[in-house]
Amino acid sequence: MNRLALTAWSAVTPYGVGSEPFRAGVTAGRTALTALDRDIHPGPFTHGAVIPGFSAAAYVGKKGTRTMDRETAIAVTAVGRLIAECGTGLTDRPEDVGLVLGTGSGSVQSIMDFTRDSLTGERPYHVDPARFPGTVMNRATGQSAIRHGIKGPNTTVAGGALTGLLALAYAGRLYRGGHCARVLCGAAEEYSTQRAWLEWHGRGEAERTTPLGEGGAVFLAEPPDAARAAGRAPLAHVLATRFRACATPDGVRQAVADCVRDALKTADVTPAAVRVVAPLGTGGALADQERFALGDVLGTAQPEWVRVSALLGDTSAAATGLQIAAVLAAAGPQGLGPGEAALVTGVDRDGTVGCALLGG
Amino acid sequence: MRDSQQRPRRVVITGLGTVTSIGLGVPAFLDGLRSGRSGVKPLTGFDTTGFAHANGCEVDDFEPSRFIRHADPEGLGRATQFAVAAAVMAVADAGLGESELRSRRALVSVGTTDAETRDLDALAEQQLAEGPEHLDPVLARRAQAGRLSTGIVRELGLTDVEALTIPTACAAGNYAIGNGFDALRDGDVDVALCGGADAVCRKNFVGFYRLGTVAPEVCQPFDKDRKGILTGEGAGILLMESLDSALARGARIYAEVLGYGLNCDAHHPVAPDRDSLARCMEVAHRNAGVKPEDVDFISAHGTGTRANDVTETGAIRQVFADPPPTVSIKSMIGHSMGAASALASAACALALTEGFIPPTVNHGETDPECGLDCVPNEARPADLTVVQNNALAFAGNNAVLILGRYQEAA
Repeated sequence: MNRLALTAWSAVTPYGVGSEPFRAGVTAGRTALTALDRDIHPGPFTHGAVIPGFSAAAYVGKKGTRTMDRETAIAVTAVGRLIAECGTGLTDRPEDVGLVLGTGSGSVQSIMDFTRDSLTGERPYHVDPARFPGTVMNRATGQSAIRHGIKGPNTTVAGGALTGLLALAYAGRLYRGGHCARVLCGAAEEYSTQRAWLEWHGRGEAERTTPLGEGGAVFLAEPPDAARAAGRAPLAHVLATRFRACATPDGVRQAVADCVRDALKTADVTPAAVRVVAPLGTGGALADQERFALGDVLGTAQPEWVRVSALLGDTSAAATGLQIAAVLAAAGPQGLGPGEAALVTGVDRDGTVGCALLGG
Repeated sequence: MRDSQQRPRRVVITGLGTVTSIGLGVPAFLDGLRSGRSGVKPLTGFDTTGFAHANGCEVDDFEPSRFIRHADPEGLGRATQFAVAAAVMAVADAGLGESELRSRRALVSVGTTDAETRDLDALAEQQLAEGPEHLDPVLARRAQAGRLSTGIVRELGLTDVEALTIPTACAAGNYAIGNGFDALRDGDVDVALCGGADAVCRKNFVGFYRLGTVAPEVCQPFDKDRKGILTGEGAGILLMESLDSALARGARIYAEVLGYGLNCDAHHPVAPDRDSLARCMEVAHRNAGVKPEDVDFISAHGTGTRANDVTETGAIRQVFADPPPTVSIKSMIGHSMGAASALASAACALALTEGFIPPTVNHGETDPECGLDCVPNEARPADLTVVQNNALAFAGNNAVLILGRYQEAA
């Protein structure tokens, strides 16, 4: 079995820039939700979780970042920190390194600002041409490749709340298909006033006021032997990813349970071996169904529960990516031990569900 | 899941769904490709007042309720409606019953450039007029990229399914098809519905217009008098399955997916890179196990801009000692963005089955800087074995797909 291992990771989150602040915040169970500065973040939400002091100019640099949106800056920063941590040898053969990043719908702020400029300008084409590429949804992945010289497959993945899980599944398939030797894989989401308004109007009444968060996480996924040759130890192996869909919200519990059971069976892992569980935990009633499903499958097992959304709010497309990072944070610097497993699950409002099973 | 010799499974295309400006469904699309029909007309999808010119290739005879039976079309943006309609067509075209389809583990992957940006345009307009407190919740809910693939899942009632949208801009269709190829080849899934979809929108048109890349009247790839792209829309969805599965159910096989290659220039946000594109073709050939001399024609990205056409033909000459005919169906259907390479793949599959090379229409005189045989204006009968479909995107994302005629003893 051509299994990939996660051997390094980075995160840019409301706890701060880097994996260490995220690890410390998540393992302490400390909330990053605060009252929002309403001058900077007008919009429907009074509370949220934003990356403190973060901007493209501050973290990517002043050069060429005038038009860089926040989502792209988060992605570029997270990828950059991961490469820095692993050493530049990681991209010595840039053609062999894939980059797979998840997004919601790109930067909705950049897209809708561009349309607004067309509607309000003296002429409908009086828009800033330098801002056009930022309205295209592969911007964050593309800029991350350009700024860090990654020349292998460069793919952007979108799947609502499941985005991080789908990116991980895609990355594995890309590797097994012979398209790259290793993959940087993750997801990013920005806090913007425009996203806040779209979320506010798009949500059901029961979850309307759930605060929003932002952030990004990126993982290095590579075959274990190649990792060891480069002096890296696997933190976790990607044992399985599974996805399902259901026609009505009351089918979510069964769909999540089926997914998780199938993943456990495929990888021959017992519920008792699951040490850490990181559910999505957002979506109103869907979160209850997700929790019930995990109870159904895990039975009397007593894993550690990591609830990222309770700490960071709804991070939308970044959520399941940040949950994977949280599992790695909880596992500690040595990673998951032999025989230990971890589960990450997600439920999207569109009736799709998914999980990833990681193991030591 | 490998066969008894531990070889990866062979992957074939057995169903096509096409929503294009030159016709809905395979018969109309095929007839358009054969006769060199052009889908160009004045754009109507948004108010074009104030632009010196605004031609494009819109789908103007699309009634969602003809195809979308289970979902409420109002709950789907236009790009999702296109994707769902094309998927429904592909399933019917493959002769796969709905319950049979639901019993198989499936992958749905849909490429796009702008997803439901047409809805984001409408929301931006509402916001200007009434303030952000008054946005339409239906639009806000459906204006999400993930919807393009989950819309298909819901309409077809799939449950054992992995659904993702691949918004890798104008090369996204090939990405999505490649993703399905890998999933089937490895035995991860038993059926894949893959392709791309996009709907004409103000944001996209304004951007290309501002860059000076929109042609005033028609799209003329490789022509010395070309004036740029024409924005278009539509969807192409391919139903793919393993060869064993297709043979077992006696399905008609359009083509075999031989392989694909992806890479990234990692150089410039919008300008293509010749050497990098050439390398992507080599990567695709290696993945597919073919040599340049095996390729019988190339379906080019061929947008009709100088930057694209000169770079792309240069890359082709770098890889091919004797370049095969190289055509652009964008001359007929415009640049349908994320749908473009999916529809071009469908065209390649039809070309292999029907034995012809689609033409590059609106062609006067070939630009000597391009200098390839672009099969000007009239389709050409040809006995085809291997065809190549190129796609390029902003951010230097290249994707090249290789299809072959299905031959029993291949």
